Amino acid sequence: MRIPVRFELNGHAVEVEVAPDRTLLDLLRDTMGETGTKEGCREGECGACTVVVDGRAVNSCLFPAPEIDGTRVLTIEGLSCDHGRLSRVQQAFLDASGTQCGFCTPGMVMTAVAFLAENPAPMDTEIREALTGNLCRCTGYVQIVEAIQLAARRSRDPQA
Amino acid sequence: MTAEAPRESDGHRRFVTTVVEVEGREETKVVELPVSEPEPWGEDARLTVVGRPIPRVDAAEKVTGRARYTADIVRPRMLHAAIVRATIPAGTISEIDVTGAMAAPGVVDAITLEDIPRIRIDGNTLFDRTVKYVGQPVAAVCAETWQAALAAAEIVRVTIERAAHVATFADAIAADAPLVRRSGNVSRSSPSIMERGNVERGLSEADVIVRGAYRTPPALHTAMEPHGAVAEWEGVGDRLTLWESTQGVFRVRDEVATGLGLSRSRVRVIKEHMGGGFGAKNSAGAHTFIAAILARRTGRAVRCVVDRYGEQVDTGHRPESRIHLTLGARRDGTLTAIVADSQVTMGVGGWEASPTAIMHELYGCENVKTTDVYAWVHSQAMDSFRAPGHVEGAFALERGMDTLARALSIDPLRLRLSNVPGRDQEKGRPYSSDRLRECLVEGARRFGWPGWEAPAGLQDSEMRAGDAVGDGMVREVVAGGGIVEAGGGRRLRGIGMAAQVWGAGGGPPAYATIKLNSDGTADVLSGTQDLGTGTRTVLAQIAAESLGSRFEDVRVVLGDTERTPYAGNSWGSMTIASVGPAVRMAGEEVRRRLCEAAAEMLECRPGDLSARGSVISTRDGTRHLTFADVTGKLGNVMIMGHGSRGPNRRDVGLVTAGAQFAEVEVDAETGQVRVIRIVAVHDAGRIINPLLAQSQLEGGIIQGLGLALFEERIIDRATGVPLNPGMHDYKVPTSKDVPMIDATCLPVTDPQANHIGARGLAEPPIIPTAPAIANAVANATGAAVDELPLTPRRVLHAIRSTYA
Ligand code: FES
Ligand code: FES
Repeated sequence: MRIPVRFELNGHAVEVEVAPDRTLLDLLRDTMGETGTKEGCREGECGACTVVVDGRAVNSCLFPAPEIDGTRVLTIEGLSCDHGRLSRVQQAFLDASGTQCGFCTPGMVMTAVAFLAENPAPMDTEIREALTGNLCRCTGYVQIVEAIQLAARRSRDPQA
Repeated sequence: MTAEAPRESDGHRRFVTTVVEVEGREETKVVELPVSEPEPWGEDARLTVVGRPIPRVDAAEKVTGRARYTADIVRPRMLHAAIVRATIPAGTISEIDVTGAMAAPGVVDAITLEDIPRIRIDGNTLFDRTVKYVGQPVAAVCAETWQAALAAAEIVRVTIERAAHVATFADAIAADAPLVRRSGNVSRSSPSIMERGNVERGLSEADVIVRGAYRTPPALHTAMEPHGAVAEWEGVGDRLTLWESTQGVFRVRDEVATGLGLSRSRVRVIKEHMGGGFGAKNSAGAHTFIAAILARRTGRAVRCVVDRYGEQVDTGHRPESRIHLTLGARRDGTLTAIVADSQVTMGVGGWEASPTAIMHELYGCENVKTTDVYAWVHSQAMDSFRAPGHVEGAFALERGMDTLARALSIDPLRLRLSNVPGRDQEKGRPYSSDRLRECLVEGARRFGWPGWEAPAGLQDSEMRAGDAVGDGMVREVVAGGGIVEAGGGRRLRGIGMAAQVWGAGGGPPAYATIKLNSDGTADVLSGTQDLGTGTRTVLAQIAAESLGSRFEDVRVVLGDTERTPYAGNSWGSMTIASVGPAVRMAGEEVRRRLCEAAAEMLECRPGDLSARGSVISTRDGTRHLTFADVTGKLGNVMIMGHGSRGPNRRDVGLVTAGAQFAEVEVDAETGQVRVIRIVAVHDAGRIINPLLAQSQLEGGIIQGLGLALFEERIIDRATGVPLNPGMHDYKVPTSKDVPMIDATCLPVTDPQANHIGARGLAEPPIIPTAPAIANAVANATGAAVDELPLTPRRVLHAIRSTYA
């Protein structure tokens, strides 16, 4: 059985059929071929698969694909615009060395995007709280927190 | 002519036999001696690209999701493989029935022992009928989708006749223990004894003797990216291409070629990006062979990515160690004897990374004797995990040193300072860089260790992430086991410290080629790999420096056995110290030739020219040509340079040393430990990129914190089943566990180590973190906490048994 779903992916209308047992992560990576979203555990623990659904950061590996119908989905592929310019959060991750192996990075970035939309001037402790669902085994999280703080500062003052 | 004497072979290259050190192991190798190596970059070298905090060259790919990892590789008509694993720890497989799985939708093929050549992994046979641990691969299936493959793997029927198993070291060495290996449950090299001096005499000379028993847990690498491979055969199945998440493309190539009976040049291994390794990705694994074999059978590309469960039960671990340690010292703190006995619970395989090797290195002592025993048990094999052996041994030794300090009523820092060895005691030679003392003193100053003043303002201005400690909280620290009450409740504050050494000098063989493109940019080719450590960026900096080009004009291509010259595994913190000099040599050669070509065009002598920022200028600064001007005029004449890593000097020892200081808060009612801050100072020689070095330091410290507080793989002794095989139960540190970290490297260079002056930094920072934290907990509570991780239960137990 396959279920038709319509949703908006990174600003584009998408219509596909999905099997009921598939997750949003499967839909993105396998059906759409968008491999920027990573799979680290498939059990909702690592956060590598984080995408933003209707403004909320979710673990796409736990999100049933059929339920995506009617939503707006933002993934790492939707962040930087055509001419290769990085979005503010991405640029900050680059500048502050918020990435090492990079496997956790798309998920970290998406969590940060949803978080900063809600809380544009966070304290470090709030950033740390927001990141608890995103594991990173390479960095000590310090530079990731700095990157998010840098993005927040730049949104207030682009010269920062 | 002795083995060491170089022999002229063709006038350009010379080959010598030398000893290369890898993760504490020494290997004798024939290596190539470069005709002439560049003068070392000394203290006063004026470097413009090396030493700069340049963001990672591949960061843009990573932050946009465009960096491709193994699971992102898609090949035409690619199939997906899933592994069927044993669910009991010991027994004999009587039947594997794949008919149900083969009939499932989308399934294309299935393999068991009968279908494959005999392949040895970690001393065990792939798909062996003898089951030796839970998680052991016994069969594999492949299907059109990964989901179909996973579903099919579930319905493969495996019948195992159960046998008795051994789960612990004690079980393994019991008189009538069931055998894990036919040769016995104790590894052949056991007991492995290392001795210097005479410990009986040393102990008899001691005024104080302290004894302790320590235990470090089995720990799992838990890289965010699981192991994986994509295999594709070309032509009629005689050439294999493998995309693999690996720390060693050439090693995987050789192992796969051997396993499948191919000549090496018929296997090409490519590694583009990988999501961390930490030692677990040094070799071809079951997934590699499964992908390759299924691809050959089906005539289609096959991707085999290990799922998280498989990753946690079958891709290696840091083995549990139990160490008995006796330290003897004179009243003034001088060590007279170190005696250590270790027991290491290996699992079904792995190599013998001595937990007591560090006892021979870290502190000066004439009389040292260590005995290591390694036992096989029915659980997954040991594999290298960031500073294998030294992490375990440092915990015992540094806890022991604190116990000794207490017994002698000497400040723990002073005790260490008075035992700094000052030389490589095992080999009787000086160190190329002897800066353990400097690390200890600088760390103490930055930390504000009692009696060691921090320069005014340093702590507040240089401490990072200043919000980890509540504002206005008094930081009161005491040495030597005092208890501080802070805030409400019974929250105890304490401080502790520990030191570290690790051989991270790198060595041959390692090669690099640099080719200058017709637009004046340069491509660096080397068969090393970037695990996420920053190798690409750092090598680009070294290349740009030696070429005299702009950093942006250099591209680094790594990790392809067919297209890049040989470099070894990225292990033992040796990548930069091994490959960096080869890259520099290649760069110098390209620059020399470019200047020769430019001299022709400028009608001057090459020696009158210098290169900087991709521009060649005459000495008097009057005439310039850009690299692109020169290469443009050369047309398709190609300038290339070749570099190789020469042998290390034998008259100096190469180690990276460091010291870390921790402050903790312990809740005396719950046993909860919170690390408040860590100060780390390490000497890794020249730092090529301080931004990336910072990442390595912080990452290592946080892995050390995980080992100190949370991480422990638990196997049920009765059933032999791992109880925490997921990321939910096996806890790695999260963003909330991170303390204030002030981590730094000494601003030095090490021209005796190699001509770029750098040593390795990947493993050293994890070594002292756990003992520094444990020493701080002991200082806070007055209780001996000699078993990791310091879970609330263990800490409470230690407190209660101390004050009962
Ligand atoms: S893959 Fe979704 S949380 Fe790990
Ligand atoms: S950068 Fe490697 S897991 Fe975060």
